[in-house]
Parts: sequence; structure tokens; C-alpha cells
Amino acid sequence: MLEYLRFSLRNLSHHKLRSFLTLLGVIIGIMAVVSMISIGSGMKASLKEQLEQLGSDKVFILPRIAYGTAAATLTDGDAEAIGRVPGVAFVSPLYSVAGDVTYRNERRIVKIYGVDPEKAEATFGAGASGYRLLKGRWLQRGDRYKAVIGYGVHSDVFSRDVNVGNTILIHGVEFQVVGVFKKTGDREKDYTIYANLDVIREIFGVGDRVTLIIARAERGADIEEVRLRIERLLEDRKGSDENFFVMTQKEILERVGEAYRVVQVVFGGLAAVSLIVGAIGIANTMVMNVTERTREIGVLKATGASNAQVMKIFIADAALLGVAGGLAGVLLGVLISMGINAAAAHYLGEGVLTTTVTPALAAFALAFSLIIGVVAGIYPAYRAVKLDPVEALRA
Amino acid sequence: MVIRLEEVVKVYRLGRVEVRALSGISLEIPRGEYVSIMGPSGSGKSTLMNLIGALDRPTSGRVYIDGVDISGLNDDQLALLRRKKVGFVFQQFNLIGKLTALENVALPMWFAGIPRAARMRRAKELLELVGLGERLHHKPAELSGGERQRVAIARALANDPEIILADEPTGNLDTSSGMAVIELLEELNRLGKTLVVVTHDLDFGRRARMRVKLRDGMVREVER
Repeated sequence: MLEYLRFSLRNLSHHKLRSFLTLLGVIIGIMAVVSMISIGSGMKASLKEQLEQLGSDKVFILPRIAYGTAAATLTDGDAEAIGRVPGVAFVSPLYSVAGDVTYRNERRIVKIYGVDPEKAEATFGAGASGYRLLKGRWLQRGDRYKAVIGYGVHSDVFSRDVNVGNTILIHGVEFQVVGVFKKTGDREKDYTIYANLDVIREIFGVGDRVTLIIARAERGADIEEVRLRIERLLEDRKGSDENFFVMTQKEILERVGEAYRVVQVVFGGLAAVSLIVGAIGIANTMVMNVTERTREIGVLKATGASNAQVMKIFIADAALLGVAGGLAGVLLGVLISMGINAAAAHYLGEGVLTTTVTPALAAFALAFSLIIGVVAGIYPAYRAVKLDPVEALRA
Repeated sequence: MVIRLEEVVKVYRLGRVEVRALSGISLEIPRGEYVSIMGPSGSGKSTLMNLIGALDRPTSGRVYIDGVDISGLNDDQLALLRRKKVGFVFQQFNLIGKLTALENVALPMWFAGIPRAARMRRAKELLELVGLGERLHHKPAELSGGERQRVAIARALANDPEIILADEPTGNLDTSSGMAVIELLEELNRLGKTLVVVTHDLDFGRRARMRVKLRDGMVREVER
């Protein structure tokens, strides 16, 4: 076997450019497959981690969005009613709006969350959704024109950093910044301003509407049971539960996971297509190889090569192309995975997404590239075997 | 007899046309003989060479090489016979360009399953025998025509075959290197190899002890 590889190495290095271009096809394919799988499993791992971090004691109630507008409205009254549902320990109504925010004469549209100041820490705090303070403090009972800002609002939205003690205008009304959150890696959370629910609703003139209600179940309560009760309550109050989502955190993450899976399938499909293209490249090169080497095949046969030996010589060429491409593809895949990790750490926050190329994945990719090479080489090698030595020598 | 042909007919089909390359040749070549096969082009020389070299099977009749009838052999049995019994020397040298002289000579031994170290050792000895001990690691493109043909002769000797078949071995060489090749082949014959040479060159052909003249696919004359 080693002898065949040695011979193939001679062949492939004899046509360096052609071999390289053929390799490129396999390299890209394997690289794509390896990086896609590593990203996919990284996403899955981070999703699982998030799920564990969040715990599973929360139910989210929000209107279904149809044609860009909410299909129904929720009010403080609904929130209070949900608060009385057996098994619900705590309920926090929220109002979110994209509003104009001015800082040092720069005006930007920023997402604003109105939250009951007293419940802010319990709703968003550590252990729950994972917000942690970088500077300052949480909103407290009695805070009216105070705001806590996400890391993105602090460092990125305006040309100058917004810090604790600074004043910002929300829809023309002055608010004092009392706290800054650490980077969470979730863009939505990082680029949001948190302020008093009633004040924000006043400013934007929306009465007692809420856009999201977060209910936390009592310790030991069956979360699914609580969810169903809330759903039934809404049905009673609103005549139908069709216009609302009542979801546990787990369900939300599952929905996100679903979306990831779709992405994975799409990218996996693209990677598979590029692998097929790589295989066709090998087959093409090998057909050319056999045509060009007709005379050599005649010599091999005249000097006593059996059909099996000729077959092996050409299969080895194709297999070597496959494996060499696979090897380079795996290495590039590892580099891409490392690059993604570095980028994710920088833009999303440390440890949010960690992709890995496991030894098993690398081995699978190599084995697969070997198979691709061999399969692509079978037909050209068969043609070489079928050549009549007399004809071949005359070529 | 190391080679025996009985009423050998070979018909080629070129599209719809049948070409009768050999029409009933009988010939016996004793072991250790020095034979030249001569004749105008189209007389069937190459076809006869291919049959003696076990590259091809006859349409009818029998071809015995060292006692084995090749007409009933399959591809692999033919390959095995060539590997063991026949060494080819071609007009075009037919060396493999990407391999060194040493590797070219070692090639037939690879097919015979001889371990790498042993075949490299023997290839080196053979190249020294043909006077190319200094050219072991040169590729064919770096060698002169005469040197290439000597590499080809060393390769023909690799598996120590009974028969050396040379098809116009001097056809692409100048007179002096052609002469050197002829003398080398004749030396091998003196050492006991059966030497069969196909040639246009009358002077070369006359040197053989047994001279077969072909015309129109038939043996016109055998001189001894």
C-alpha cells in the first residue's frame, strides 16, 4: 500500500498546479463541512448552557404579532389577574418601545424597557436572566426619572460613553443614569435602556398597556401546569388565547433551537454540495490523468502489472487527492472554528459561543474524504484497467 | 523451444474493415537464439512481436511461450507471463518520465512483489551492468537517447526473463549509440537470453543467427 502511495505522490507532484486545483475542491468542501458541524454543535452547547443558566421557572406572556402589529393588547389588569393565578409567585409587567433618546445633542432610536422599578432586579437580575451590574445600581422602589442602561448603550450607541451620573433625554424627558449592565452577549439586552414602567408609558402616552408579562412560578410548582392556568385565564378574560403566546423559557429556547437547526440543515446542505463538487473535480482530474497516461499504462502492463495492480495505482492517486484535501480541509476548519470563537468572544461576550472540532469530527471528515477520493477514482481506474496494452503502447 | 507458433492468424477489426495482420504463421525459436524479424511495414512484424511478448492473443492458432499456450490465458495470466518471461525494449524507450532511472528499472520487480530494498539493490546492479552506475537518480529527460535505451534494457532484465524482445531498439538513436545498444543486447544473448529483434535496419538484422523475413502476414523466408 505504501508503495502505491509513494508512486501516486510522484504523479501528483508531477502536475503540481492541477493537483492543487483539484485539492482545492475537496479542501473547500471538507472545510465547509467541518466548520458547519463545529458551529452547529457549538450553538447547541451554548443553547443548552443558556437553558441551564436561566432556570425554568418563568412564563412569558406576550401578544402574538400579526402583520407587524400586535393582534391584541395586554394591560396592567391582565398582569394583576395573572399574579393571582395559583402557583404564580411574582408577576412583572413590561412595556417595550423603540424611542428617541438624546445624549449630548446626539439623537438615536433606542429600545426602552419600562419595568416596575421595585421588581427590576428580581425580573432581570443575576441567576434569572443573567444581567449583572458593571457600575452603579439597579432601579429601586420610588425611582422615577432614573435609568439603567445596557453595555451597548453605554459604550456604542453614542459617540461618547454614557456613564453613571450622566443625563439622557428619553422622548425629550430627562433621566439620570444610575447603573450600567455588563455585556451579556445578547444584542437585544445590551442595546436597551431600562426605566420606570409608569413614567415611560406616560411619556409615550400608552395608558396601561403592557407588551410583555413575565410570571415566575412558586418553588416546586409545576411550570407547565402554571402555564396552562395562565392560558385558561387569558381565554376567560379575552375570549380567546389565540392572540397570545404563553411560553415557558424552555419553549422559547426550543423555538430558537428549531431556528438553529434550520440554519444547520441549510448550511450543511451547502457544505454537502461543495463536497460533491470536490468529488467531481477528482473524477475529472482522474479521467484526464488516465487519458494522458495511456502510454504509461501500456508500459505498466507490458512490464507485468496485473489489472488489480493498475487499478490500485489509479485508485491510490484519487484516494491521495481525497485524503490530502481532507487533511487540509480539517486544518482550515479548525482555524475557522478558532476564528469564530475569537470573534464570538469579542462581539458577543466570553463563552457565549464556543465551537470545537472534536477528534471524532476530524476523523470522520478524513474518512469521508478518503471515501470520496476512492469513489471518484473507481471509474477512471476501471478505464485504465480496460485499456488494451497493445493499443495503449501505440498511443 | 522457448517460443513456438502454430498456424497463427491474427485479424484486427478497424471499424467495419477486417485487417488480416498475420495469416498462418508457424515458427519455432530455440532457447538462447538470436533472431531478427524483418519485413516491410504492414508485413505483420509488430503483430508478431505483440504475440511473442504475450501482449495479445491470436485470433486462431497457438502461441507457446516457454511451453505455455497464451491463447487461453486471461489478462492477469498474460500479465504474469510477461512479468516473468519477457523483457521489452521499445523504439520509443517508454520510460516513465517522473521516475528516476533506478525506479524505472525497479518497476517490474514492484509488480513481482519483490521488497523495496531488494529491488533497489538489483536495479542498481543492472544499471551498473549497462554502464549507467553514475546515472541512477537521473530522470529520463536528463539522459541521452542511448542512455535511455540502456535504462530500458536494464528494466527489461529486471525480473530475469527468458526472452528479450526489442522492437526497433536503434530506431531513435544515432549510429554510435545504436551500435552500443546492439552490442549490449548481443552481450545479453551471449549470457543466455533469447533475443528477438524487430528491425528495418538490414545491417542490424543480418547480425542475427536466425533471420525471419515477413511479407503480407506470412513467413517468406527463415535464414540460419
